[in-house]
Amino acid sequence: MTAAKAFILMKSNAPAFFESVARDTRLIAPKRRFGGDVIFDVVASPKEIAWDYGHDIYPPKRFLLPHYEDMFRYRAGKEIGIEDLAHPPKQAIIGIRSCDVMAIRFQEKFFSAQIVDPYYAARSRNTVLFSLVCNRPPKKECFCICCDTGPYLNADYDVQLTDLGDRFLYEIGSDKGRLAGERGAPLLKPAAPGDLAERKRIELAADSLFDTTAYFAKALNFISYDEVPDAIWEDLGSTCFRCGACTNLCPICTCYTVDDRAHEDGSFVRCRSWDSCQFSGFTRETSGHNPRPTFGSRVQRRFYHKVSYQYVQRDGTHGCAGCGRCVSACLTNLGVPSVLKRIRRSMHDYLEPRDKAAKV
Amino acid sequence: MKITGARPRRMWGVTDNPSGNLYVPKIAIVDEITDETPDTRTFKLRFEDREYAKSFSWEPGQFVQLTVFGAGEAPIGFASSPLEKSFFELTIVERGAVTRAMHVLRKGDRVGIRGPLGNCWPLEDAKGMDVLIVGGGVGLAPLRPAILQMLTHRADYGEIWLLYGARTPADRNFKYDLEKWGTRGDIHLLQTVDVADAGWKDNVGVVTTLFAKVKPDPAKTVAFTCGPPIMIKFATIDLLKMGFSQDRVVTSLERYMKCGVGKCGHCCINHVYICTEGPVMTYEEMQALPELIV
Repeated sequence: MTAAKAFILMKSNAPAFFESVARDTRLIAPKRRFGGDVIFDVVASPKEIAWDYGHDIYPPKRFLLPHYEDMFRYRAGKEIGIEDLAHPPKQAIIGIRSCDVMAIRFQEKFFSAQIVDPYYAARSRNTVLFSLVCNRPPKKECFCICCDTGPYLNADYDVQLTDLGDRFLYEIGSDKGRLAGERGAPLLKPAAPGDLAERKRIELAADSLFDTTAYFAKALNFISYDEVPDAIWEDLGSTCFRCGACTNLCPICTCYTVDDRAHEDGSFVRCRSWDSCQFSGFTRETSGHNPRPTFGSRVQRRFYHKVSYQYVQRDGTHGCAGCGRCVSACLTNLGVPSVLKRIRRSMHDYLEPRDKAAKV
Repeated sequence: MKITGARPRRMWGVTDNPSGNLYVPKIAIVDEITDETPDTRTFKLRFEDREYAKSFSWEPGQFVQLTVFGAGEAPIGFASSPLEKSFFELTIVERGAVTRAMHVLRKGDRVGIRGPLGNCWPLEDAKGMDVLIVGGGVGLAPLRPAILQMLTHRADYGEIWLLYGARTPADRNFKYDLEKWGTRGDIHLLQTVDVADAGWKDNVGVVTTLFAKVKPDPAKTVAFTCGPPIMIKFATIDLLKMGFSQDRVVTSLERYMKCGVGKCGHCCINHVYICTEGPVMTYEEMQALPELIV
């Protein structure tokens, strides 16, 4: 981080600053709704931003990969007349957490690897992220510290904001971030050495608040080399009731399905929507043959995709941002850390007695 | 020489993305419809855009994502000869939502095509070798382009056997081809059905019962198989017993898939996307993919 890229934005100036961003860009930010829940949504004015929110359960990934995304419109008959519907708006996601920034970076890489997905690419091109670091105690489910995705970022952000009480430290990490703040630049003052020292102090304090460790490496070995017996997967899968919350709330999961929807005006829209590898129909073929027929095999699929050398090699990192949402969401304890822990323990329980019996 | 599923020269989205949006299909027109069996038809298609049609090429084993407008999209393998430049054929069983809608179409109707997708049969690697082809039911369709191409360049290959099984004589696809192939002498055609009718003179039983009637030399033969999963399973077991090495048993796989370009996640087994890295795989390549081990 160079000093020229670090600024101070007084909190009293923040509404005016983000008004200037909003001139040609829609603002997406944590928004307090009736009843007090905070979720990321489009805000009409920066005054609506709930800066003091803790951790939202619902990742902002839907603004880059919508639940339902219209791809193109056509008419069935002689004149098909295909009309491409990819016109994503310019948008700024404000207050997004570090883990979710890294999840978006993961998706951007995945969707542009080898073959570029035009819909995701257009949305990500038009999106700038103003991330807000977590300098408050993490929730008990958080394990970004094990995934190197938080609570602070040292790279990969567009603009990173740190709450310093009456002001934000405003760090610029990309050209996109620099351009988005250009109109509001008069409201940014160069950061003083003391501000940067304060940021460092807060970062170390935030790091020290975690007592979780997710032990990726050991389970990653077992999973990569297919050493986990089916019986253990089936045991883990036996409690899953395929609600899909783990994959839907995962800020990294990208799998989608496609269908053609009829509209009242006689046209059809090809639409893609979130799908989940935890659903039995995900791999079921027309003939009825399902190569992934059991709960255990689907849980194995999820963890192989998240945590295996093969995917680490492919994607550059494991497919988990450590946000802890699957931990909060799963009613039967199939979140990432607990499954990794249970694999380690069950491998011992499963193999030890069996080997001993064999020796007798 | 080790054989692997072959890389195609051309692949939609990688080398071939003329529309600028790889999810938007190109329009093709149904030129001819041939009834193959009570539930299977072959559709002869050509692209509406003549310039695009001229530049279009593909290799045996590749497939397309077929859009039936108003119904949706489904992956279908090419079934015609890749040497035919003015048209291509898709052989389709009436089974799911898209294929049922396809069977309602008439000559002159329009469909959408995204392709060519996937890899192809290792026909280059197989040059100079004997080829044993094992097909079941409509599984003969993705093998047909390979057979037609090999018969056109007949001198490049040694012996060619085609073992074809179907439920009944009427359920055989491409009867007009089978008739020709049965008499031309440079391809050994052996057919079998599960249930014979009065006029059936050939073998009765599953396709693997035909293995006893051929004597391929595993050292210089490559086997191509395509058919229902249960057929692939038992054919592979028998081929390995006959002494075929794992890289000489080549299969075209079927997986549920949506995008065809490695993004939607449906066809993915472990870290391998069948749509871009398959569908053609050797048994050796399949070893790393637990869900496919037969």
